Amino acid sequence: MATKVAIVNGGAGGIGRAVTRRLGEAGYAIFILDKNQQAGSETVEQLRQQGCQAEYRAVELTKAAELKNVFGEIHREAGRIDLLVNLAGGTLHKHPIQEFPVSEWRDVIDVNLKATFLCCQAVCKPMRERKAGVIINTSSNFGITGGAGRTAYAASKAAVIAFTKSLALEMAPHGVRVNAIAPGLTATARVMGSYNETEWRRLGQSLPMGRAAEPSEIAEAVGFLASEESGYVTGQTIHVNGGMIFN
Amino acid sequence: MGRLENRIALVTGAGQGIGRAIALAMAREGAALVIGDLNETNASAVKKEIEGLGGKASALHADISNEESVQAMVEAALKEHGRVDILVNNAGIFPTSPVEEMAEEEWDRVIGTNLVGTFLCSKAVVPQLLAQRFGRIISLTSGRAFHGARNGAHYAASKAGIIGFSKSLALELAPHAITVNVICPGITDTAQPRGHQSEEQIYAQGQRIPLGRIGQPEDLAGPAVFLASDAARFITGQTILVNGGGIMW
Repeated sequence: MATKVAIVNGGAGGIGRAVTRRLGEAGYAIFILDKNQQAGSETVEQLRQQGCQAEYRAVELTKAAELKNVFGEIHREAGRIDLLVNLAGGTLHKHPIQEFPVSEWRDVIDVNLKATFLCCQAVCKPMRERKAGVIINTSSNFGITGGAGRTAYAASKAAVIAFTKSLALEMAPHGVRVNAIAPGLTATARVMGSYNETEWRRLGQSLPMGRAAEPSEIAEAVGFLASEESGYVTGQTIHVNGGMIFN
Repeated sequence: MGRLENRIALVTGAGQGIGRAIALAMAREGAALVIGDLNETNASAVKKEIEGLGGKASALHADISNEESVQAMVEAALKEHGRVDILVNNAGIFPTSPVEEMAEEEWDRVIGTNLVGTFLCSKAVVPQLLAQRFGRIISLTSGRAFHGARNGAHYAASKAGIIGFSKSLALELAPHAITVNVICPGITDTAQPRGHQSEEQIYAQGQRIPLGRIGQPEDLAGPAVFLASDAARFITGQTILVNGGGIMW
């Protein structure tokens, strides 16, 4: 199989659909890992209509053994893994710290951070053996700014940045690049659904560029990091947030 | 008069290294100390050192990765002193493995101790700090959070996580006059770098640091006392780099 192979977890979510479309255009055969089976199948269908090779795999991303099996199967079936994009995750739970159940706090860390670790670990060997590969993780502006009620989410997303740098250092001698994207406010159904229309407009207007990111704009950053255009870029986090500037 | 007179400070992992240096410095400024440590022998030794300085201290066994143990530590501190003003989240672990070979158990242990432990200790003191309308939470991160760490991806992730966590908690607690800040040491003369570097390698790194030496645990004590003091009441959500001028990005 000569086609480049990409694995995208969270590939059926709002950003995920834009990313897989973008990767499809770049000629990847795409394996979508997502917990939402219906959304996964729909996304695969759309990609196939677009003329791309696409497959869906259901997997619980925080379960190491299950994950290992799925990655192993994909590797056997496709013969190679060129790109891993870790998109799955989210805020999940928002509470002031004194009300934050410890189990929920742990879940947020697992879904955003541990799943990223486990998926990266699963592709290290095949990528190192081919002396090629690209890994793209997902952080968030909250990983830099923090957010009230988001102690767990912000912690997990800041952690993704340092994890990315560390793995970049480990994999650099093996020809594998590891970077992260950090979307700011993005116009996905899930995010927009948590605000009313007025709130949403105000939120967008509060940003330097006066609006939220389109999912396709996040996908462009993934496309860049996946391509040879960024061949000398590793360990970096690309913020796509309409001009929020951090110290 | 010390800058922390009548304050009660709880320092985790204060049985050795940076935690011990911070505990001693806070005691010198008049704070009563609660030494929480997994190693009770070390904790008791530091308690005796503080008493030798004429200070007040108690030593408690605590495993910060365990919710019940953290609760018990905070309850014991409250029972003895009636309040807790300052929490220093210093305890941490630092095993090494490349990601490719890293056991899930090791990943969970590092995140569960350094990051979740910081959360558990902070959460456990927050009700008391809110009731007092005063409090200081100071957590220790690492230059590894910024640089990454070859063979320490879990450690770097946990330490960067502490920064994101602290900024969020700072936002939550700012209306209540409680500050939450982070101190970031560079390479420091403790047990931490000794797992994977020779003595020569450790001290040789000082040559690359603008101030010409690696950090000593005592170097972290001044910033910790400052952040705990009234002088720092308008500083919150910040990470203070204490690394001899080593640039971090």
